[in-house]
Amino acid sequence: MSFISLLGIEFKKIRRSKILWILLTAAVILWIPSILNAEMNFQMQAEGISPEHNFLIQGLLGMSWFMFPASMVVATVLLNQTEHTNKGLLKMLALPLDTTRLCLAKFVVLLSLSAAQIFMTVGVYYVSAAIATRTQNYDFLLPPLFVFHKVGLLFASAIPMLSFFWLLSVCVASPAFSVGIGLFSIVPSVLAINTKLWFAYPMAYPLFVITSEYGKLASNMETAPVRLFPWIPTAIVLTASCLLISCLFFGQGERK
Amino acid sequence: MSLTLEYKKSKRTGCFPMFAVGGAAAAAFPVLNMAFRSDMYVSLQDSMLQTSVPQNSMLQNSSVRILLEANWQMMAMVNILLAVLGACLLYHAEYADNAMQKMRTLPVKAGRMFTGKFAWIIIMYFITLTVEAAGIMFCIYRWFQFGGEAAAELLQSFGYSLLLALPAISASLLIASLCRNVWISLGIGVVCVFTATMLPTSHFALSLFPFAMPFQILPGTTKTTVYHFMLAAVLETTALSATELIILKIRRLFE
Repeated sequence: MSFISLLGIEFKKIRRSKILWILLTAAVILWIPSILNAEMNFQMQAEGISPEHNFLIQGLLGMSWFMFPASMVVATVLLNQTEHTNKGLLKMLALPLDTTRLCLAKFVVLLSLSAAQIFMTVGVYYVSAAIATRTQNYDFLLPPLFVFHKVGLLFASAIPMLSFFWLLSVCVASPAFSVGIGLFSIVPSVLAINTKLWFAYPMAYPLFVITSEYGKLASNMETAPVRLFPWIPTAIVLTASCLLISCLFFGQGERK
Repeated sequence: MSLTLEYKKSKRTGCFPMFAVGGAAAAAFPVLNMAFRSDMYVSLQDSMLQTSVPQNSMLQNSSVRILLEANWQMMAMVNILLAVLGACLLYHAEYADNAMQKMRTLPVKAGRMFTGKFAWIIIMYFITLTVEAAGIMFCIYRWFQFGGEAAAELLQSFGYSLLLALPAISASLLIASLCRNVWISLGIGVVCVFTATMLPTSHFALSLFPFAMPFQILPGTTKTTVYHFMLAAVLETTALSATELIILKIRRLFE
């Protein structure tokens, strides 16, 4: 079976899961305080950041620190549990399929869910920026290219984190620990971005990248710049090893 | 009977080790924080001793306050995520293989399952808090002066945290009991925790949101605020548990 048709099947499986509603609710709640506190953006001009940039970046910071990683942990629970109810995975393994492809197809579904949430966040951003524009009589809307550049960075930097969450959900059989470790690992990312070893901690990548973008936009603020050298090789090695291990262990528990 | 039954079921979900390990990991925050930045916090105590402590505020020992103010946000985050996840997993065990239907055929009141699970989550949460208190106690012993006063304040402080966690625990159990699929209950729980982190802490009415209450700390809070929070915690827990029992009665009419 080709990878594309496997992917199609995986999408069909989660069609009625209502996961998109949960992702959308999180995105809506993210921007509500920004609309209510829109006038605070003008006070941030002391940092040398324009109000419309501040509006976007504050929202993205809130997203990358907890909402986005935690939603993705929930998405891995979904991908895992849809197969475990009624022993769905056993049936999939009985078919003449390549398990590596199956595992990767599921990972691509996870990536698509993360992309979906990022798109929703951008959509809600434009609605809330439009509302703030009317209430504050100031143009908060930024050009789409600029916004997509920022969220594109967020998405790309989240891939190693997603592969780690995927590794947890495949290799740790007890959901108490696979989900528990995933949710717990998000919390110290605020501490991790302030250390020199941040590049070794994939859960901190999105927050680090957005914080660094904040520093670029705010002329009076110093934030650590993104140094590509130790980061990109480490990220690639981490992602590749997480995916390799999860492909090797995929369905091992069911095959016994 | 229902308590031992619920214990046997919860043992298989792996929740007990999860709460203990989570507590140990959360207790590592203050220890690591002090290990790397002890000078900053110790000097903070000296400056706090020089400035007069505001009248009418709870707990005068500054070391407990410094440690909780520096670390409680993260520790509370871990605790509340544990409570949400624990509630989801306990109910997932019932829904996963249709055990719920078998439970309904037994001559047991439907509300007993809720109260039994509630009791076990409180016990597990208590274990988490004990481990965390031990971590804070170690920090005080190692870097500040440890005495009877500090121990008593620590005890009061964590008792207060346990009481304020009850609304969040009952709310997450309520959500988990209503959703057949674990990712939906976990998703709603995570969205609620996220909402709690977005709420401004200065606003009293907003900080009464069940999932925002565990972020409160006792030291440095005025007595009246503390009493308001304690009263709110009791009222919210009662209201949420009553809602669950009413929903159970109504749902039976439709299934």
